[in-house]
Parts: sequence; structure tokens; C-alpha cells
Amino acid sequence: MTDLILSGVSKTFGNTRAVEPTDLTFAKGQLTALLGPSGCGKTTLLRMIAGLENPTRGQIKLGDDDITDLPAHKRKFGMVFQSFALFPHYTVRENVAYSLIIGGMSKPTALEKAESLLATVQLNGFGDRRVGELSGGQRQRVAIARALAQEPQVFLLDEPMSALDAKLREDMQVELRLLQQRLGITTIVVTHDQREAMTMADTIVVMSNGRVEQVAPPQDIYHRPANVFVADFIGKANFFDGLYQSGGVMIGSQALEVPANFAPESPVRLAIRPESACLATELGPNRIPAVVGFVRDLGPVREYHLTTDIGPIIVEYAAGSDEQKLTAGDKTLVHLPPDALRVYPRTAA
Amino acid sequence: MTVADDIDVAADSPAEATPRLIRKGALYGVLSALMVVFCVVPFILVIVISFGRKVEGAAWVWDFTFENYQRFFVGVLWPDEVTFLYLQQLGYSFYFAIIASLLAVLTALPFTLLLTRLKRSAQAIWLVFILSSLSMSEVFIVMGWDILLSNNSGLPRLFQVTGLTQWLKDVGWFQTLRDIGLANPRNVKFKPSEFATILTMSYLVWPYAVILLYPALSRLDPSLSEAARTMGASRWTVTRTVTLPSIRLPLMGTTLLLFVFLLGSYVTISVFATPDKQTTAVAIYSNIRGSNLNAPFGSAQAVILLISASICLYFGHLLNRKAEAR
Repeated sequence: MTDLILSGVSKTFGNTRAVEPTDLTFAKGQLTALLGPSGCGKTTLLRMIAGLENPTRGQIKLGDDDITDLPAHKRKFGMVFQSFALFPHYTVRENVAYSLIIGGMSKPTALEKAESLLATVQLNGFGDRRVGELSGGQRQRVAIARALAQEPQVFLLDEPMSALDAKLREDMQVELRLLQQRLGITTIVVTHDQREAMTMADTIVVMSNGRVEQVAPPQDIYHRPANVFVADFIGKANFFDGLYQSGGVMIGSQALEVPANFAPESPVRLAIRPESACLATELGPNRIPAVVGFVRDLGPVREYHLTTDIGPIIVEYAAGSDEQKLTAGDKTLVHLPPDALRVYPRTAA
Repeated sequence: MTVADDIDVAADSPAEATPRLIRKGALYGVLSALMVVFCVVPFILVIVISFGRKVEGAAWVWDFTFENYQRFFVGVLWPDEVTFLYLQQLGYSFYFAIIASLLAVLTALPFTLLLTRLKRSAQAIWLVFILSSLSMSEVFIVMGWDILLSNNSGLPRLFQVTGLTQWLKDVGWFQTLRDIGLANPRNVKFKPSEFATILTMSYLVWPYAVILLYPALSRLDPSLSEAARTMGASRWTVTRTVTLPSIRLPLMGTTLLLFVFLLGSYVTISVFATPDKQTTAVAIYSNIRGSNLNAPFGSAQAVILLISASICLYFGHLLNRKAEAR
């Protein structure tokens, strides 16, 4: 098994640039999530990797082999489609055995192997069923078993959980990750669900408007977002616009210390995660007077929606933590620790 | 039904509801009567006349004889002599209808597949064009093909003028065409021939094939064939193992429908088929309106053709159910 390398790969449909020139390396045995909003080019990128779309420019290599012009049926990358694309005219077992039979394996051997693959995805005894007799989760498992039957070097999944309900989706995310770790296959998952990406991926590729915004492990993506888009798209964040002064940022009349260095008077945007901000009782640097507007208790977390001179701020505490217990209308201070503040250059809108 | 409709219905008193029921009943009654007069009565008449008797030198008289059916299956001289002329005609009806419907479906299938991959606006233009071609009558289409295939002004003339005939002779293929009846000693000749008959019959029903296949093919999930490709299937394997099995029911349904439609084909057969390969439909016309003036025998042939078509449809239905059960 070898790395999958994309060099300057781009795709244009007519006058629309779906994927900007992209350089990416998918490390062998790792699970990478292509994450972004609808229409950001992540599925097009996946389809180019699968050989279902030809790149307009660039090169795709599997190890030392250039596979840019290799047709899909010769790449044999296992792929799970959003709709699962199970063949309705075959039984579950025949679906799983499909790639083996057309690959030249004898039918009895292929069907036997299909049965063991069905056991891998915990579908023992489902082999004789028709696709129409399966639930959404079962269909997904069949699609995974079918894609894995040909023992692919690269395993591709296009929004594999989108057709499942929320509870099943959470279970399947964990299950899929465990299966991938057990088999050690290089896996690329396309998703628009950041929770799904955070749960499953070793590396997340955040995309927007056909561009790669950041490539990093989930924790880095969350705690050290590369730009405003990533900070906004992944998780929740409080944003403030201001002007950089030496050692700090002026937001209106409020000065905040920040660990960044910009040219004086540069317009910047600050971001801070709700759980990184906290309530305070004593005045000090980066502590701003606030009024509680609304308390949202979600069970595992409690959110304080605050009104301040620099704009609305949400502060989040995990259940059981010893924060001040405030109610709507209470006056307080909100602390924005300098090391938790991310500073980004702000371009004119 | 909306809540407002519910309230309206509930508000109707029995006195108001009764005249409405009567009006509704009367409408159904009139429609049923029209159905009986225009559909059932002619059909029953044909069945009844098929048991009638031809009077030589005159028309025919009501009777209840199986002579016409006997004539159809074993000939008029049975039991002294057995002839299968009319069974043979029925055989040609089936032969032409089966080959032409299969040819139409097989050629319409790739076209329709390509059509479904075009942009919506292009698809709409093609569909309107195909639908409009359905408005041309069989006579008009046959006349067009008659000119196109005629020996003096059509394709054979073009073959001769362009030197294609000479080229066929030079490469030795001309003799093969002669062997299958598509050439005379001097030039290629397309009519009368099975080739021209089947070609024109296929052409007649080809738009129907496209229109009937289009809904099924446009609903075909493209990710099915893409999934097969990612699993190592070549384009032909995808067609064989995924596309065709996925649309087998519409394919069978379309073929059956075209087959039944073509069983009654009259103008094409009378223009392009050789005299020894005329079909039951042509024979029915000659008996009822043509030179024979033997309506009872023509009716018997019509009934047998109808029963044969029904049997085919029934078997087609059984095949469909079997395929669905798989």
C-alpha cells in the first residue's frame, strides 16, 4: 500500500472552476475527511480520485504510478456512494460478490468470500435478501462490504452517512472508523458534517469554493483554524472585527491583548471558541463587562449568551464545572484569554 | 381533500346529495353504453360473423359453423388434403412483428440512453421531435421508404451512380447480396424483401420505443453504473450486468407492446413483403374488403390473430412476473 498524491489537480466544468489547483497527499492507511459546505468541490475531487471524472489539469499518483488517465474500472478503488448504489436485481450476497465474479473468480468461491465479508460488517445471514428488504444502515454495510470485496488500495466514501438518521449515523461513524483501523486501508471520506469528520478522520481537508482551506488533524483544525472560514465552519466561534495596534487589537474603545503581530492599523478579525472564553468576577486585562441575555442549558453544556460593548459573545461551560450560576439580566465580566484568541487579517468586504 | 372540502361534504344534506348521485350515475351509465356500442358490439360482431358462412357468388349468411376455423388450421380440403397456408401467414405475422419490434427496441435503447444524458433542454427538443414524428401516418411513411428503396430512383440507383455496386462486385460481396435476395444480376435491389419489410416496420414503431423506454431510462440511477465501474467492470460489462437487468421490465414491456402493434401491420407488408410472405393482417383485409369478399373467414382470421396476441401478452406477463420474483 502506498500514498495517494494529487499534484495541481483541478477541474473545470464549462466556465465554472469546480476544483482549484490542489496539492494533497493521502497517507497510506490513514482516514482523511474532505469536509466543506455543499458545492465546495469535495465530491468532484473524490470522483477524480476514483476515475469517474478526468482532471482538467494536474496529476494523480498512487505511489510511483501515474493513474491520472487510468479509467475507473482499472483503478479498482472501492467506493461507497451517497445513494449506496446497490444493484436491486441482485441479492445482498451477489452484490458483495459482484467485483469478484467480474474479476474472474469462480462464482461459488466469490459467494463464499462475500459471506465472510458480510460477517465482517455484521450482516451474517442477510446474504439471500433483496436490497429492497434492508434498512438504511444495513444497506450502508452492504455497500461497504461490496466496496471492500476487491481489497482496494484506496477506499472512497461519498457522504456515506447522509441517508441515515442521526442516531444510526453516530453509531455507523464509530463502526466505520473501527473497521478502517482494523483493515488499515487508505480511506477518503467526503462529508459536510464536521462532527462526522472529527469522529472518524486522522486528517481533515477543509474545502471552500473549490479551494483547500486547511489540511490538519481534527484537533488542530478545531483549535488552530487557519483562517476565518475554517474557524466559522468548524464548531462555533465568537468573532470581533477590530484594528491591530502594537501588542493588541482595538475593538471600538476596548483594547484586547493578542499573541499576534500585524502592521499597525491593520484590519483584523478575532475569533474565540465559546468554551475558551469564561466568566470572571474581577476586572483585569481582556475582561469586558457583559450582561447575560439568555442562558441555554443543553444538558452536557450550558451556554451564556452575553451582550458586551464589542458585540454578542457566547460562553460555554461543560456540565458540572464550577462556573458562576447566572440568570438573564445579571451583570458580569467575560474573560477572553489572549492565548485563546485567534487573529486573522481582514480584507475589505 | 382539504378541511374545507370535508366541511362542504358534511354540509350537504341528504336531499342535496341525491340529485348529485343520480347525475353521477347517469354519467357512468352513458359512458358504459358508449363503451358497449363502440368497443364491445363490434368485437362481438366479429366473433359472431366468424361462425357465418360464405355464399359463393354472393356475400355471406349468419350460421354457426366451424368451417372457417377448420380452413385456417388445416385448409378447406381437409380431411382429403391438409394445407397450412393460413397458419404460415400467421407465422409470418409473428416473424415480422418479433424481428421488427426487437430491432426497434435494440436500436432505440442506446439512443434513449444517450438522450437521457443530454441537457434537459436538448432532451425536450428531441422528445418533441420524436413525438411529432408519431403524427405521420403509416401510409405516408411507407410511401417515403418505397421511394427511398425503389430500384429506379432510390438507394439502388445511388449505389449504381456512385460506383458502390461495382465496388461490391469487385470485393465479392455482391454475390452474397444476391444469395440473400438483395440484388439482381445488375444492381442491388431492396424491395420487395424481408429486409425492406422489417426495416420499415421497425422505423414505424421506433419513436414509440423511444417514448416508452425514456421514463425508465431517465430514472436509472447513474451511480449504479459508476459503482460497477469502480469495481472493475468495463463499459460492456456494466451494460450487461447492471444497465440491462435494471431495465429488463420496461424492455420486455416495450417489446411486447410494439410486437402486438406490429402484428396488425398492413400497409408495410402489402408494399414490401414478397407475395409468398404475406401476413394474416393482409389476408384479413383481402377477405373482408378485398377481392375474396369472405367476411366470415376474414373474421375467423381476425379472432385467431387476436387470441394469438393475447396468448403472447399473457406469456409476456408471466415472464415479467418471473423476472420480478427473481
